[in-house]
Amino acid sequence: MTNRRVALISDASQAFGIATAKRLAQEGVTLVLNGPPGPSEQVVANLAQTLQDEGHEVLVATSDLGDTETVASLCNDVVTRYGRIDLYVHTHNRIDRGAVASLPHVLVRDALNFNAKTAFLCTQVLGRQMAKQGAGCMVYVGSIHGEKPTGCAFSYALAQGALQMLCKEAALELGRLGVRVNLIAMGPVEGDDQQFYSDISDLYLDYQYKVPSATLGTADDVAEAVAWMASDAAKYLNGAIIRLDGGFLLHYMDHKMKR
Amino acid sequence: MKAEVKDVSLRGKVALVTGAAAGIGRGVAIELARQGARVAINDVDRADAAHITLQMVREASADGGIIQADVAQPEQVQAMVEEVVRRLGRIDILVNNAAIQPNLGLMDYDDAWFDHVMSVNLLGYLNCIQAVVPVMKGQRQGRIVCMSSVHAKRPTDFDTVYAMSKGGIKMLVRESAIELAQYGITVNMIEPGAVQVGRKIGNPRPIVPPDRVTEESRRRGARKFPLGRVGVPSDIGHIVCFLASDEAEFITGAAIRADGGSMLL
Repeated sequence: MTNRRVALISDASQAFGIATAKRLAQEGVTLVLNGPPGPSEQVVANLAQTLQDEGHEVLVATSDLGDTETVASLCNDVVTRYGRIDLYVHTHNRIDRGAVASLPHVLVRDALNFNAKTAFLCTQVLGRQMAKQGAGCMVYVGSIHGEKPTGCAFSYALAQGALQMLCKEAALELGRLGVRVNLIAMGPVEGDDQQFYSDISDLYLDYQYKVPSATLGTADDVAEAVAWMASDAAKYLNGAIIRLDGGFLLHYMDHKMKR
Repeated sequence: MKAEVKDVSLRGKVALVTGAAAGIGRGVAIELARQGARVAINDVDRADAAHITLQMVREASADGGIIQADVAQPEQVQAMVEEVVRRLGRIDILVNNAAIQPNLGLMDYDDAWFDHVMSVNLLGYLNCIQAVVPVMKGQRQGRIVCMSSVHAKRPTDFDTVYAMSKGGIKMLVRESAIELAQYGITVNMIEPGAVQVGRKIGNPRPIVPPDRVTEESRRRGARKFPLGRVGVPSDIGHIVCFLASDEAEFITGAAIRADGGSMLL
């Protein structure tokens, strides 16, 4: 049993997850760092080692969070060890390129399951635990592509659209039980012009300059937002979808870009 | 000078409506028929009800046919589209409507129900789009209308995964719209609110538990609809006809909310 807050990061191998882990560690949060099976595991192990060397309490998990039993087993491990779980940070974020007309059904399902079903299952299982405690918080790190189509990775957008509705539904049901659920709709970071290159949409053409400040976001921006959303300072925030993109989605007039 | 009067006619067009045995799907099939379209009526298992829809389509003096298929199965959808083309010659309009709503709350869902709802509601729409696109590309024209819901925006508070599927459909429509525009195919969605339909699959929608229905709750219920009534399937059918018409050729990736204004209250 610990008096410190306990947080589970669903995929701590990705930039957003790594930055969030480091940020929460600064606040003395006990961390459960999950890495989906595969190459992610080593990245998470290294991150855990670094944080442990700095004196932080870290538990490593390698769960695919793919079905109820798997998630329940991880939840059980965490509660057995620490007696509680206070925060779930959903950082699963996999972008598969493919066209609506031709991407095989099974790959669309994979993308949906990886990006959104994991969040659904964790919200159910961890939500039950948090409800028992009478308090808790969930933050989903989502994307502006829950609103804006990509023109190159539609399965990702589908999952992001579903994740937004999960946030709103869970905010109602879990809100009555003391649990807040919010979503960060993250905008472009360095390299997204490659990830989201599209023959159809010029959204990412000159993307840096479409942000009014001409400065792209970083994983640290995500981490700061997660830390705030998870804190008591945000106790009235529930079911919110916060667009964290520096104003990128508002862009319209190319000739007015700051460059 | 007299302005030219032009009616919204779908004469010569062929429409495929999924989940058309009852409810909104039936209402859409009938309205399309009344505008002169020939209608392929799809349903998964409600054969008797599908025959009633077909009869109503014929009473509207349009031709049509019934094509049984489970939209969740890509091979069945492919076969359905091939059969429509074989029997009716072409497909101008796809109305993605088949959906399930088990009315399970967040904590009541299990893995299997999650997969089932997503397979039918979201991936089923995708399967149908993927199957009709080659046909519509060949015709250099097509209209796809997807039934979304006010619950793509506002949560249900009674069926978590249904709302998630509608959130996914919102993005499927937007992505399809920008990708398929080059072939002359438009893709739009309708967001119905409460519509009087027959029985749905799953639990009854728990609006208010019977033991909690009081005069006050009745009064509150009535006040949820500024226009003084809930929707009927033909309300939705009229919008489909407009979106399927030549007049709507500049509209794509759009959503029309049809809920009598209830979402604003």
